[in-house]
Amino acid sequence: MLGKADTSAIWAFAGALGLFAIGGLLTTVAPPLIDTSWAKPFENNDPAKGPTGKLKPYTPLELKGRAIYVREGCWYCHTQQTRTLLADTKRSGWRGVDSPVSTPDEFVYDAPHMFGTKRTGPDLSRVGGKYDEQWHRTHFRNPRDLVPGSIMPPFPWIVDDPEEFKAMVAYLQTLGRAKDWRPANDYEQ
Amino acid sequence: MLAQISRRELSGKAAAEGALVHEDTTSRLFMLSSVGYFFIVGIIALIIAAKFVIPDLMGTVPWLTYGRLRPLHVNGMLFGWLLACDMSLTYYLIPRLCGVKLWSEKLGVATAVIWNIVVLGAVVSLILGYNQGLEYAELPMPLDILVVAAWIMYGANLFMTIAQRKYSAMYVSIWYVMGTVLWTAFVYLTGNFATMFATGVNQANLNWMYVHNAVGLIFTPIGLALAYYYIPKTSGAPLYSHKLSMIGFWSLAFVYVWTGAHHMIHGPISQWLQTISIAFSVMLLIPVWSAVYNFFTTIKGQWHQLRDNVPLKFLMSGVVFYLLTCFQGPMHSLRVVNAIVSKTDWIPGHAHMAVLGAFSFFAIAGTYYTLPSLFGRPLFSQAVANWSYWMFMIGGLGFFVTLWLGGFWQGWQWNNPAIPFIDTVVALKPVWTIRLGSGVLMFTGIALFAYNVLATALGVGSEREGGSHVG
Repeated sequence: MLGKADTSAIWAFAGALGLFAIGGLLTTVAPPLIDTSWAKPFENNDPAKGPTGKLKPYTPLELKGRAIYVREGCWYCHTQQTRTLLADTKRSGWRGVDSPVSTPDEFVYDAPHMFGTKRTGPDLSRVGGKYDEQWHRTHFRNPRDLVPGSIMPPFPWIVDDPEEFKAMVAYLQTLGRAKDWRPANDYEQ
Repeated sequence: MLAQISRRELSGKAAAEGALVHEDTTSRLFMLSSVGYFFIVGIIALIIAAKFVIPDLMGTVPWLTYGRLRPLHVNGMLFGWLLACDMSLTYYLIPRLCGVKLWSEKLGVATAVIWNIVVLGAVVSLILGYNQGLEYAELPMPLDILVVAAWIMYGANLFMTIAQRKYSAMYVSIWYVMGTVLWTAFVYLTGNFATMFATGVNQANLNWMYVHNAVGLIFTPIGLALAYYYIPKTSGAPLYSHKLSMIGFWSLAFVYVWTGAHHMIHGPISQWLQTISIAFSVMLLIPVWSAVYNFFTTIKGQWHQLRDNVPLKFLMSGVVFYLLTCFQGPMHSLRVVNAIVSKTDWIPGHAHMAVLGAFSFFAIAGTYYTLPSLFGRPLFSQAVANWSYWMFMIGGLGFFVTLWLGGFWQGWQWNNPAIPFIDTVVALKPVWTIRLGSGVLMFTGIALFAYNVLATALGVGSEREGGSHVG
């Protein structure tokens, strides 16, 4: 077989494509068909099954904020996934309450997805409702005013555009809020 | 017997070179533009490394902010420099391995023009913030379409050349180039077009299939095609085993594509898919070791040549980096290791070793070796070439090792939730300072390399003694 493949470009062509296609199809087309939870928006009304809540589609304002998040490349330094690691659930937690881990059904309306690969800054998967608008205003203008030692770039042009700033904050406040995970209900607006 | 085929290929090729006149216009165009982008994007790289140390640097100018320069760095290096340089060298070596001229130089020149439009378009759109929000697939749709057009033209040109070949047996580099053309088409379409029709985890899965295979099924096979050609060429030692190279090729074709989900280990993606990606990640050791063993055994008894053979220095250092990076990859995918290194600064250390340390080293070696033949005069300076090697080597090692150590330490800190996140940022500042210093060394390497290429191309001081060992 190897000998035949050595001298026939057609054979090489077909073999290279065929072997690639097996894994290609089984890992891209098959998984969403097998695991339907990838496409079903989160909804839970039974507290016994974990945090309750419902994933809502983004409003136009939130989508505008999300587009700014994409445009400025926030996702190169901030992940949006509380992984199945104890430390992640603690770090994404708030005021002594551990965060639930991220599940596929919380991201059904995300396009482009913002899971990220690099955590230069903290994870933002549960940042929604942690800080109020005034905090974000100060922080975007110069992150080091609020967090000494931070290396996040300043974003004065977002703060200086009231429409953009409002949209940005509206988007950030949605993050991780499909699951109603804080018993004290102490979310900032 | 199979080893003899490779010997015959090599000697047959040398004879053919005497008889055939290759135009090589396409190869020259791609080479000069790619080296130019290597230099320009190198400056961008230094700026973003400096932003880790001085976060307010150029901070109030929207188009110079980190989030817009980083995709420019990544796309510029991947598509402006590395892939374009790889394409240049394949336009050179495929006709020679086939014993015929390139099918169409006109088509090749048109491909080079489109490719440059894409790269320049990418620069403008990325700094203006037109970013599609998917890693490695940042370019807006019109540019994606141009990439596909250019790739079809590239593939058609090479396949037609291969179809007209004079030798029926195909040397392994031809295999890898054919694989690259085919797989890239599907991988690129998945990452840039199929993702448009998906959301959430489904989209992320397609995105990671593309990101992983952009390296695994684009840069790996085309880089190996160069290594399989240039290691025997520069050392004069015939390839150890043709059969082993075939095992590497077929296992690469089968195994690589399964591993995309290992970018989301512990993340919100089905556990069974994570496990599949881990299993196949470990299997990657098969194609990797079969290639590396072949290279090491080929060069057995010839290591003394590394003393003054600059292209071979780059090639064999590249092979060592390739082995290391491909050992790291499978290890990262293991859940226990992933829990520490994932999302940390270890990862850019790993990624730079693959793209710079392995595949760019192969491309640089190929460029140094091929330049004299493309421009009809000896290399401008062997000494400058040697200096560029040491700048890349010392800067690169400084970069990789510092980020591994720093990233590992960062991962340990993250796994202790008692340490506030900001403390783990402050702790990394010395690491980022050393990274910037290493970056300056690497950029010096790029500058020396680019100067050497340009001086050779323009024939600066070509009447002077010295120059190339190339024979």
